[in-house]
Amino acid sequence: MKARILNRADVLKVVDQLRGQGYEVLAPFLGRGRDSAFDVVSDTNRDQVQLHVPNPYYPVKRFVFPHMERTMKIFKEEGGDIRFEPTYDAPKRALFGVRSCDIKGIYHLDRFFLGRDFKDTYHDLKRKNLFLVNFVCSDPELDISKQCFCMCTDSGPAARENFDLQLMDLGSDEFMAVAGTPAGEALFSAPFYKKCTAAHVAKRADVLTEARKQLKDATTWFSGAVRYVSAGRVADKTWAEIGNRCVECGGCTFVCPACTCFTVTDRQVGPNEIERLRVWDACALSGFTRMAGGHNPRSTVHDRRNRRFFRKLHHYFIQRELSVACVGCGRCAEVCHGDIGMPSVVEIIRRATTESDTQ
Amino acid sequence: MSHPANKGKICIRGWHVHEVASSPDRLKTPLLKKNGQLVEATWAEALDFIATRLKSIKETHGPDSIALLNSPRCSNEESYLLQKLARSVIGTNNVDHGAGVYTNNSVAVLLEMLGTAASTSSITDLDKSEVIIVDGVDLTRQLPTIAGTVLRAKLAGAKLVVIGERRQRVAENADWFLQLNPGTEALLYGAMAKVIVDHGLVNHAFIKAHCADYEGFLAQVKGYDLLTVSASCGIPADQIEAAAVAFARAKSASILYSAGADTRDPESIKAVVNLALLTGQLGKPGAGIFALTEHNNLQGVCDMGMLPDLLPGYCPVSDAKGRSALETLWGSKLPASPGVPASAVLKDRAAGKIKAVWFDRYDPVNTAAVGSAAKAISECELVIVQHLFLTETAKLADVVLPTTAFAEERITFTSTERRIQIADQAIEPPTGIIPAWQQIAEIARALGADWKYENSAAVMDEIGLAIPAYSGASYANLSVEFGRQWPCTKDNPHGTSLLFAEGAGYSFKFAPIAKPAVPVALDKDFPFTLVLGNSTYYWNQNVLISKCEILKREYRMLLLDYPKGFVEINAEDARNMKIRDRQTIKLCAAGGSAITVARVTPEVRSGTVFVPYQEMSQIQQIRGSQGDGPRYLAVRVETEVA
Repeated sequence: MKARILNRADVLKVVDQLRGQGYEVLAPFLGRGRDSAFDVVSDTNRDQVQLHVPNPYYPVKRFVFPHMERTMKIFKEEGGDIRFEPTYDAPKRALFGVRSCDIKGIYHLDRFFLGRDFKDTYHDLKRKNLFLVNFVCSDPELDISKQCFCMCTDSGPAARENFDLQLMDLGSDEFMAVAGTPAGEALFSAPFYKKCTAAHVAKRADVLTEARKQLKDATTWFSGAVRYVSAGRVADKTWAEIGNRCVECGGCTFVCPACTCFTVTDRQVGPNEIERLRVWDACALSGFTRMAGGHNPRSTVHDRRNRRFFRKLHHYFIQRELSVACVGCGRCAEVCHGDIGMPSVVEIIRRATTESDTQ
Repeated sequence: MSHPANKGKICIRGWHVHEVASSPDRLKTPLLKKNGQLVEATWAEALDFIATRLKSIKETHGPDSIALLNSPRCSNEESYLLQKLARSVIGTNNVDHGAGVYTNNSVAVLLEMLGTAASTSSITDLDKSEVIIVDGVDLTRQLPTIAGTVLRAKLAGAKLVVIGERRQRVAENADWFLQLNPGTEALLYGAMAKVIVDHGLVNHAFIKAHCADYEGFLAQVKGYDLLTVSASCGIPADQIEAAAVAFARAKSASILYSAGADTRDPESIKAVVNLALLTGQLGKPGAGIFALTEHNNLQGVCDMGMLPDLLPGYCPVSDAKGRSALETLWGSKLPASPGVPASAVLKDRAAGKIKAVWFDRYDPVNTAAVGSAAKAISECELVIVQHLFLTETAKLADVVLPTTAFAEERITFTSTERRIQIADQAIEPPTGIIPAWQQIAEIARALGADWKYENSAAVMDEIGLAIPAYSGASYANLSVEFGRQWPCTKDNPHGTSLLFAEGAGYSFKFAPIAKPAVPVALDKDFPFTLVLGNSTYYWNQNVLISKCEILKREYRMLLLDYPKGFVEINAEDARNMKIRDRQTIKLCAAGGSAITVARVTPEVRSGTVFVPYQEMSQIQQIRGSQGDGPRYLAVRVETEVA
């Protein structure tokens, strides 16, 4: 992979380059307090783009897999015929400043939507028009939250693949840019990219070492949890303890960069026109598993809650997708009312299994 | 994530509220009834129609023939202007909000005993409570954000006491779950007070400094006997004792109850406040009473004076001094006699007195527990509706004004911790639609009032002049951080997170409570207690829920599973009686009986049958000759239906 060096003052020129190429660029902005969000970059807000911000909690996943997306229009023609008209929304779009966990999340969506026999056209078209600029977390105050555990899920602090361009703050006044694809490398033709030296490469290693030290609350027992969940060795009463702390808001799923569940629903928009929507859904909600006729195989809350962790930790799914449906971003821990995000659940499983393990 | 109260944790409704604005069912133009049909009209036509008709009805039948009701989801600005329109322009106190039937008890008790009708502490401070009592409210379903705060406080070491008939999610996490027999809350609190007195845990210093009427209360408390109450409530005496002692011994303890979605008798609310006064659990960080408001702006709507007997800032309408201050501010004479409450308007138009009714975002036909709303409304000469959608109430209207949705206007709401917050405009409303508060101002001008508000911030400036507790709550101040908690005054612009924090000068009152009788005498003929209450069953008619895809599915499930309605019975009782879920059963009381469907759930207490309020016809059949009135009835469950 090719690398170049950028002056701090030139970093936002990458945004200008992409906008110049006709991309709609989305980048992080700081809101009130520590709140941040991705928004479209325009001439007026361009200078307010900030790379070092707490990772926006509404994940960039939504630009690849929207919260709510129309997939087709359905018309009732005169004479009673029904006509379907698929609607594809795949703008030429660049996401600037995507953290490594979210890069892994988009990769997981790719594995899910495109990785097997059926290819999801909506996802495929969006991905083909997407340019990803990864940003490596380094600032202990702004980039890395105490909930982060990307080292356990092998997704950070620096992504190793699945980006077009990667940026890293080397401290001092320089950023390193690494090209992940030919499209990323093509940007290097601009004059403000400077040569990368061996000293820069050494500095990169130092930055990563420092960042890893910051991830000190990492959920190191993650692989243990995979083992215990896969072997079915987590007791019902442990799942009940977890389930009783769930308020069924669905938040963990909505903020998860790797959650893929959706429901499909139709709504009337005109006298003879219906639109079909794909809407984010969540396994915490009982309507998600309820079947036509009323039977619900997961009628109690802890049966729905353990479903989330089976889906993310059981080896069956990991083998099926060759990708883990948890990227270590810690958002589920931030958003959870009852503190049963992934880090806490791994800890609850560890305590419940090892501390009482008599096997 | 930075918001002090929710910390970025929002509930299932919060995750989907954005869908309301983009719903294809939105009304885009005003509607006027012509030849019995609602047809599209221009804004000028609609506003002119409203003004002309209001004027004529006022002239013919007097101002008190007009009632203005809103939803506890309306903004402060909207609510303030609506009651100002009623009082100063039309000349009536006939204003109320859709939850009035539930909250009035709480407002009245808190005003009487504490002088302030709101939560005394902050959600943020719950993590400082050593003991938290959650009384009668299913936080997980009704207020998930607060459920989470309580659960996390519990995980961090607080002791959790849950009092209630239902074994809900928060109860599963309780240290002491006092699952009492229906209607025995006041008895339980009386016994807890007795335990505290007997253990010498009364906070005499606090009582001496701040409280009146202690002797009368003490005399009554001494009449309680722990073992008798234990039997009446159906809770082991040692649990009552342990919970009471923990509450009194805690450095700081909080009590949470619902001021909103369920009828709560004044006696049991008084008992809650008495317990806090007895132990001095007020005015310290982590201590206090939370009168939880279960609608986004129930607190604000009450603060704004959308109450038939109270002006903005909770001054009684009969108080000449309070009226005169507002008369100066508003430049007109105000009526002195209390208006009629929403429940009376919707029952029978306050015995036929009401001829015109205005509903601001309120849809009583679908949502009110009063079954006669549609009939009462259709008997009115003039029905004005402001709403986003053509609701069942709007269908009965003579004129409908479409309104802006959440995030389409810049307005404020006041949360259950008294936090006045700006909801900023994030998206453009559909073309031509002006905010509801501006519509109200237009009508006031058309009726001859001299109202000038450049924007919603100007309305808030006037609210600051009308309500002392809001006097520092300018938009400039509110937008600095995440709003301000009232009282927020010029001298105290940062607001008040904790009421009664500074030592002296407060006067609270104990409220002696006559020892309540055990609600229903059970016997072998009628071994179950039938409880009436709210259920999420009918939430599917709520605007937010009916317009959001996931919410619609979630809240429709009960309707799909139990298309003919249901009553809930305890899983163990069902097992003993061999009743399966969704089985048809018969409920018999002394005065009547009804055939219904059983919903088997571990949530309800053994020995009780829970009937949602909305099952009106069944409730009436069961009551039969016993008539309206008691919330509890002794019944028998029969499985032979034929």
